[in-house]
Amino acid sequence: MTILQRRPQQQAVAEPHRRGVTRRQRPLWLLAPGGVLLVVVVAVPLGLAVWISLIDLDQYTLRRWVEAPFLGLGNYAESLDTALLHSIWVSVSFAVLATAITVPIGVAAALVTQNAYRGRAVVRAIFLIPYVLPSFVVATVWRTMLQPDGVVNAWLGGLGGLWLSGPRSYWALVLVEVWAAWPFIYLMALAALQSVESEVYEASAVDGATWWPKLTRVVLPYLRGPVLLACLLATLNHINNFTLPFVLFGAPAPEDVTVMPMLVYVTSFQSLRFGLSAAMAVVSMIIIAIPLFVYLRAVRLDVHEQEARR
Amino acid sequence: MRSGRMRLALALAVVTGLVAAVAACGGGDGGSGGSGKTLNVLIGANTQYPQEQQAWQKSIAEQFKAQTGAQVKWETFASANDELTKIQTSVVAGSGPDVYAVGTTFTPTAYATKAFVTLGDQEWQKIGGKDKFIASTLGISGPDEQHRIGIPWVGRPFVMAYNTELLSAAGIQHPATTWDELTEQAKKLTNGDQHGLAVAYKDNYDPWKFIWGMSVQAGNPIVDGRTARLQDPVVRKAYETYFGWLTTDKVVDPAAVGWTNSQAIAAFAEGRTGYMALTSALAAKALDAGAVKGKWRFALLPTVPPGAAARPANGVEAASILSGDNLLIAGYSKAKELAFQFVKLITDQPAQLEIYRQLGQLPSNAAAAQSLQSDPNLKVVVEAQLKSKATPFSGAWADVQLALTNAVVQSIPELAKGSITGAQIDGRLADAQKSAQSALDRVK
Repeated sequence: MTILQRRPQQQAVAEPHRRGVTRRQRPLWLLAPGGVLLVVVVAVPLGLAVWISLIDLDQYTLRRWVEAPFLGLGNYAESLDTALLHSIWVSVSFAVLATAITVPIGVAAALVTQNAYRGRAVVRAIFLIPYVLPSFVVATVWRTMLQPDGVVNAWLGGLGGLWLSGPRSYWALVLVEVWAAWPFIYLMALAALQSVESEVYEASAVDGATWWPKLTRVVLPYLRGPVLLACLLATLNHINNFTLPFVLFGAPAPEDVTVMPMLVYVTSFQSLRFGLSAAMAVVSMIIIAIPLFVYLRAVRLDVHEQEARR
Repeated sequence: MRSGRMRLALALAVVTGLVAAVAACGGGDGGSGGSGKTLNVLIGANTQYPQEQQAWQKSIAEQFKAQTGAQVKWETFASANDELTKIQTSVVAGSGPDVYAVGTTFTPTAYATKAFVTLGDQEWQKIGGKDKFIASTLGISGPDEQHRIGIPWVGRPFVMAYNTELLSAAGIQHPATTWDELTEQAKKLTNGDQHGLAVAYKDNYDPWKFIWGMSVQAGNPIVDGRTARLQDPVVRKAYETYFGWLTTDKVVDPAAVGWTNSQAIAAFAEGRTGYMALTSALAAKALDAGAVKGKWRFALLPTVPPGAAARPANGVEAASILSGDNLLIAGYSKAKELAFQFVKLITDQPAQLEIYRQLGQLPSNAAAAQSLQSDPNLKVVVEAQLKSKATPFSGAWADVQLALTNAVVQSIPELAKGSITGAQIDGRLADAQKSAQSALDRVK
């Protein structure tokens, strides 16, 4: 019996030496394939983009790109001298505005379709239409509607105007983005609502809570985490959206809607300055990453995990 | 030990497989004989006549196989972006299509990459000689006669279309030959909801062609060596004329500030517009499907600059930009001899007439073009092809073109309000000059 009890201990001590990996380390070792994939998919292209941003890569040097002249921070200096800062401002303001408008719409739509009623499935399906339509289709339809002699101006009568050029183009971009993107917030909010257990509603009903306290003190706290996460993802999606402004306004776009992806596109694919466009992309990434980091720290999306630890 | 060997064997198998796959991706079957070999050809997808294009590709592939024994593997690109991406990746990797069909204005950019075969006398002979092509179509094949990379394939010269019934009703005997005459005729044709001109102000490709045409006719080539000449009275006059049709002459539908070329053609096809100011032979099908069927004809774009009754001595008789497609043979190709045979096949008279019949693309082959002149409507288009002038052969041209277009894009709010001041035009021209000169300064 004594011998039988000792053997597993001996094995446990001997095993790490034989394999060179402790049990504590094993989970990390298992993550290696994912890590390799991350390096190949994210780190290598990012590293390449940073390298390209430091060299003078254009149509003249493309064929022998390894030998392209090294410019150091030259492309970065030039990118700040161009319309990049204006583009970052347009992109960020448009993205934050679109998110701010879509959140109440999405949450309200989720609440409307939370309780069962006749025809709810149809309403839910209709709500998803903007989300399932390809961006290209959405932009093409809106482009037609927003023409100077299009249906939007026909409806607006005297209030109509030029929507695809000039200052109003900014609001046209926000409008179309909101129309296409609100169902994402709706889906995230609806998923969160589904996770609220029925006992919670019953308990609040037993306590005599009316609809407003029930909404603000019972339901919305459950939505906080998923909706804050949705805000983050939606804002990033808005910032990165290229198809919508490209199809709506074409290239070159009016200055009011020269968002970052459009500027990088024109610099890359029309001016053929790959080094400069890479520098623009890196600068944009850094400028956006800073507030995102602050946001992530501030909203603490790991709140549930912390509660579980307690 | 056994599992270690198995892992080693597995690793070797994976590496071998990868090497084989990479080798296969490289393609490139060398030699001049064709049997069992494949030639990769990249051309633009024809969205207007997709079925006809497939039929043409099949027919050419069969002829090529009968002639050389080699297969043709077609690749198509849907947009200029796809085309550029494909060229970039192929140029960097040193493998990809053997033959490219690229837009004429893209040829200078392709030349700048130094990735394509420069054609000497021997190479021209292999494809049937330079003389078989319309002389003007060689105008954008290279920076000079010794450094040509582009082989003219098809032409799409720009012309105007006019409504014969409306012009006749307005007492106009013949279509305008000067820009001032065009403006005057457009004024006569404008009445109520009928307009003299259909112009696509919001198009991303049309506006610069007007400005370039009017400027070179007045003697300003826009790019003079390594100097941009956009801040120039001639260019200013061109913009004033182009904008003036809408703001001062009021001969264009105000909704045109939102029109692309296809929308302008659609408006003309409704039958309430005198002229469609810029189109090509490819629009014939759309026009025949509209209310103008049987009531429209093509006409040459004016070749006398605005504000003048005759072209100045240094002016160029440019009826259109040299528009169409050039064929390029990749420098990395291991099947260059096959590529030359293929290029000869599709630029010889029979194939050139076949592509015209199937897809409406105008021949670059002089004999084929000559044989089409019996159709009076087509005669005008062929004449436009003959009088086409190449845009400057510079790697910076894409940026210059972009700057010229951007000046229009940013002016649309003023055009919509119905007035644009000289100072505003000057401001836009200053921006365009800066951008164009900066691109020219980078030319290597």
